[in-house]
Amino acid sequence: MSTLDLHQPEYFARRDFMKKLAAATAAAWSAGEPRLMAAGAAAQPRATADSCILLWMAGGMAAPDTWDPKRYLPFKVGTPIKDILSTFPAIDTAVDNIKICQGLENIASVMDRATLIRSHYQADLGSILHSRHQYHWHTGYVPPQTVAAPHIGAWMSKVLGPRNPVMPAFINIGQRLEGVGENEEVKAFTTGGFFGNEHGPMNLPYPEEAAQAVRPPKGMEPGRFESRERLFRKLLDKNPNRELMSDYQQESMLRSMDNAYRLLSSKDRAAFDITLEPKDSYAKYNTSRFGQGCLLARRLVESGARFVEVTTEYVPFLNYDTHANGHTTMERMHTEIDVPVTQLILDLEKRGMLDRTLVVIASEFSRDMIMEGKPGSAANDQTTFKVETLQEMKHYGQHRHFTGGGSVVMFGGGMKKGFLYGSTADERPLIAVNNPVSICDLHATIMTSMGISPKTQFEVEQRPFYVTEDGKGVAVKELFS
Amino acid sequence: MLKKTPRRKNGRTFAVSQDIIVMRSGLLLLFIASTSAFAALDFSHQVVPILRTHCAECHTGSKKKGGFSMNDRAAFIAGGENGAAVVAGDATKGLLLEAITTSDEDKQMPPKGKRLPAAEVAILKAWINEGASWDAGFTFKKASYEPPLKPRVVELPPVVEGRANPVDRIVDAHLLKNNLERPSTLTDEAFMRRLTLDLVGLLPEPVALAAFVADKAPDKRAKLIKATLGKDVAYADHWLTFWNDLLRNDYTGTGFITGGRKQITTWLYKSLVDNKPYNQMARELIAPTPESAGFSEGIKWRGTVSAGQTTEIQFAQSVSQTFLGINMKCASCHDSFIDRWKLDEAYGLAAVVAEKPLEVFRCDKPEGRTQKASWLFPELGQIDASKPVASRQQQLAALMTHPQNGRFTRTIVNRLWHRLMGRGIVHPVDTMQTEPWSADLLDFLAVDFAENGYDLKHTMELVCASQIYQSKVQVVSKDTDSPTFVFRGPRSKRLTAEQFVDAVWQITSAAPARVDAVVVRSKLDPKAPSDEKPAAQWIWSASAAEGKVPAAGETIALRRKFSVKGEIRRAGAVITCDNEYTLYVNGRQMSSGTNWESVGSASLETVLKSNGSNELLVVAKNAGNGPNAAGLFVDVRIVTTDGKEQQISSDAAWEWSPTLPPATGKYKTTPNNWKPATIVAALPVWSGKINAPAASMLAQLIAGDIPMARDSLMKSDFLTRTLGRPNRDQIVSMRPNDLGTLEAIDLANGPILAGILDAGAKKLASQTWASPEAFVEWLYRFAFSRSPTPEELAAAREALGATLSEEGVQDMLWAVCMQPEFQLVR
Repeated sequence: MSTLDLHQPEYFARRDFMKKLAAATAAAWSAGEPRLMAAGAAAQPRATADSCILLWMAGGMAAPDTWDPKRYLPFKVGTPIKDILSTFPAIDTAVDNIKICQGLENIASVMDRATLIRSHYQADLGSILHSRHQYHWHTGYVPPQTVAAPHIGAWMSKVLGPRNPVMPAFINIGQRLEGVGENEEVKAFTTGGFFGNEHGPMNLPYPEEAAQAVRPPKGMEPGRFESRERLFRKLLDKNPNRELMSDYQQESMLRSMDNAYRLLSSKDRAAFDITLEPKDSYAKYNTSRFGQGCLLARRLVESGARFVEVTTEYVPFLNYDTHANGHTTMERMHTEIDVPVTQLILDLEKRGMLDRTLVVIASEFSRDMIMEGKPGSAANDQTTFKVETLQEMKHYGQHRHFTGGGSVVMFGGGMKKGFLYGSTADERPLIAVNNPVSICDLHATIMTSMGISPKTQFEVEQRPFYVTEDGKGVAVKELFS
Repeated sequence: MLKKTPRRKNGRTFAVSQDIIVMRSGLLLLFIASTSAFAALDFSHQVVPILRTHCAECHTGSKKKGGFSMNDRAAFIAGGENGAAVVAGDATKGLLLEAITTSDEDKQMPPKGKRLPAAEVAILKAWINEGASWDAGFTFKKASYEPPLKPRVVELPPVVEGRANPVDRIVDAHLLKNNLERPSTLTDEAFMRRLTLDLVGLLPEPVALAAFVADKAPDKRAKLIKATLGKDVAYADHWLTFWNDLLRNDYTGTGFITGGRKQITTWLYKSLVDNKPYNQMARELIAPTPESAGFSEGIKWRGTVSAGQTTEIQFAQSVSQTFLGINMKCASCHDSFIDRWKLDEAYGLAAVVAEKPLEVFRCDKPEGRTQKASWLFPELGQIDASKPVASRQQQLAALMTHPQNGRFTRTIVNRLWHRLMGRGIVHPVDTMQTEPWSADLLDFLAVDFAENGYDLKHTMELVCASQIYQSKVQVVSKDTDSPTFVFRGPRSKRLTAEQFVDAVWQITSAAPARVDAVVVRSKLDPKAPSDEKPAAQWIWSASAAEGKVPAAGETIALRRKFSVKGEIRRAGAVITCDNEYTLYVNGRQMSSGTNWESVGSASLETVLKSNGSNELLVVAKNAGNGPNAAGLFVDVRIVTTDGKEQQISSDAAWEWSPTLPPATGKYKTTPNNWKPATIVAALPVWSGKINAPAASMLAQLIAGDIPMARDSLMKSDFLTRTLGRPNRDQIVSMRPNDLGTLEAIDLANGPILAGILDAGAKKLASQTWASPEAFVEWLYRFAFSRSPTPEELAAAREALGATLSEEGVQDMLWAVCMQPEFQLVR
């Protein structure tokens, strides 16, 4: 049974689900690929969302400067750092009992559509490496692992498949995988893992160039692209080795070629082209690559994407990875996210899609001005300067990695509206003190919303591998409306 | 449920203590066995049938109703959720007799069907009172397959119809027994394509293909196999992919960023070029030198890791998987549920490389005890755990490669069979704990491999020479591929990402000029006769000046700046040092060595700058226990496109500094204390051992042309990752066989492939072709190893038009490279 008993258990299109899995299983057997285990197919919960958009605040977004305002002190030379918890004052939101930080006024106006978790916490992994925590958050497993753990998007791709057959099920927007620091570590979790590349991400690091990813190669006119395809088909048709035509491998290869051509020549590919968006709408999203990514995500979900991640991008020491100048950087990040996120929610709502689209805003951990890791952690301090009182503006901000308590915002997808869950302490250390939610249980919640039991498991190398760590994730049922 | 839990716990505790008694006391085991043999009651003939009839359905094998399994005596006595089933020696206690005799319908067993006859109840009662003896080793559980350890010499079936290859003798007998037809034989063209792709990862060149087809010699296939395996560099280029996957070696990846990982590329590539015996390779990986240590040292991430992923545990997992096809990943955390491996066995293997006593963790919780070094098959000998790590590694290496370790040889020949035939004899190839479809075939290949000096190429040659390898692939429809596999013939294999890219590079001549891997792409024979004389002298620091002797442990940096005039065509270096060295060229590590008697070599074409300034930097170390002679010997030769040669040798123009660079070979701030190097008078033993091989190897390093770049030597990129090249964070022994949609999108419009095809089209379109048809003929013969049919030719001609255009050629290249016939080896 699923851990969440919201309604009479209704097994959505269970027959199709099993059929698809059976086909996948037969195909996978010869390659020693993962197989869904009997127990894994049982009791999938009724989905409350069809699509998921993960808005990834890469680098460690400080909860006290965003969703969980605490005691605020403005910048003033000589102020003891220990007295400061937040560097932004609190503002009102559309919900009486929820305040968030100044700079997020637009999001504040749609908090009545949100569920805010203030008690998310992360594992203590010793000395902090962002990409390692990101690996944990994106796969549910702490690296290194003995098998390649799939990204949560790959799980959705594998178990649910695409919503629209021509639309890749897992799309990853905004993260460059070459030429930036720690890229090998980021690549390690930005994969289909043991599900293989078929369930891996379609990477679109630059939203404004996304259209190229589904366009015929540069410089190839549509007419030529079609005739090239015709030539391919014709040569295939004239191939003398008829006896090999029914070979499974050949068939599956051709099916994939066919899918690719269908996407590249379909009208759905217009979804990838954000320049087709009306000007005023485009302008609202056009704060940054992240803002454009939110627009792209909306267009893709409208066209049937299953899982889309949009990141502010992880680059060591940039964006939310504030080792100095935290407050100033945070002001910029607020500007980058505030309008696009809000617009994304409103657009989804206007199109009647918010109820069936789960939007999650999360980060690998929070930040604090003083504490590194969490109480009792062996994490070593990685700040570049050590001061007790504010001397200059660069000292003002959340410059340490904090894993003891942070926030997650969720919109739509069957979650409650205008709901606050959990809390952190009012004084340092700002640990989650009320209804703590681990990564494992948060994933269970997300997966349950998508209609995937947290206990779903695949056999890989003869061992069960679960969608939440060891199948132990429990959905937070209070969050569901 | 809740109420019963404590009682079940009691039951479990009891079961464990019983196990311990039986295991610890061989005497007790003997006693039980003899009791059974001499007692009035015969366990297997009287007791077992009763239990089997009335109880087995719900309480044996994987069935455990009420938590009660009677698979073995300990489980039987322990009982289930409600408590102990029997108390040996006292039939009045325990639940079993009560359950089979009670009239209470809620408690009675079996719950449905007939009650046990009184006679049978009496037998059970008597048996319990006598001590409930159990035949040693008896289990109700269906015997799970346990693979044999030792090698087995197979008696070959008779030769049928002159098919004398031992592989065919075994396979023919298998086909006959299963009433299956032999698959038909491949044409010469198809054979050559399959063989060349399988052994050296390349398409046969059209000219070579024509020559092979025209050859009338009856043994031409055998000769082709030998000749193909004899292409040492191409062989190494191709099989590097297989070994990089299996040893999780790569040029970038997780761990490198914080120095938590080392490459073994240079060592591995040389091992392949030299066709090093596999047992020697394994020994050098398990008990490594610095050049091969990356495998056993594993990957270390920053921060703390779970107990199941320490570098010691990684060692246990990697060694088990790579060399034995054994999955030790379950047992790294708890006793395995899927096979026989236990937590202590995983930790025993891990303890081989543990510098400190290794604390055992079960599911990440400390057990409060340590495990000493041991290995999996004590039948072959055990590791002396009191010895230091290096010695334990050597002991493990010796046990692993022990002539009686048949599992070591079976695992590798199965991997080779899988690569050549498309499916393992044991499949998947890392489940060597499961049954092969032909034990005879597996055992034969394993013994034959060992008898022939663990020569990988020998086994490949044997398999490729068989009729079954040379026959058409089995057409596999979706449904026929099930766990109940019956071998019918070879299966088609998808080109690896590397094979695909190499093949496209071959056709387009668009391979890049430089490779990323630091390897020497020549087979260097130090003993080859040569007229060359070395120009290099032996040099060291001021400590080697007249009348002085360098101290043991002295470590210095030596450098030489120089400029190259002209475009470099070939460049190579030979180097050695008494005692240790690392050579950096323009800030890139190119060679290292710890044994002065062995001359190191490096190819420098791609790292040196043409028409520019360059720097050689060597970190050199003197070893020993007291002051002793030290010297560095380097000889670099550069051939430019104008045919001129330049030589840079260790001599008085070099400088030394006591300030060492970091491991990257790049100074953060360059020291300013460089002084001229001291020329050291060469010891006769130095000159005697080094001069001739160094001169000979240097000449070979710069002879001939640089072979085409190969994708196995490149860092992975979007195209190859999409086509299935793994992030080598984990060992990968089988890549996905299917092409997915994302891959197909990348093939259809990805900039990397489009760029290669574009460059190729420019070259090909500008060549002189007799006609468009001639181009198509050439392309088909290259890509598919066959001529186009008239229908294909007509279709291609129609698309190309009367004259070749760049666009037309590019689209034709794409349409051909996308054909399944191109993307599959079949």
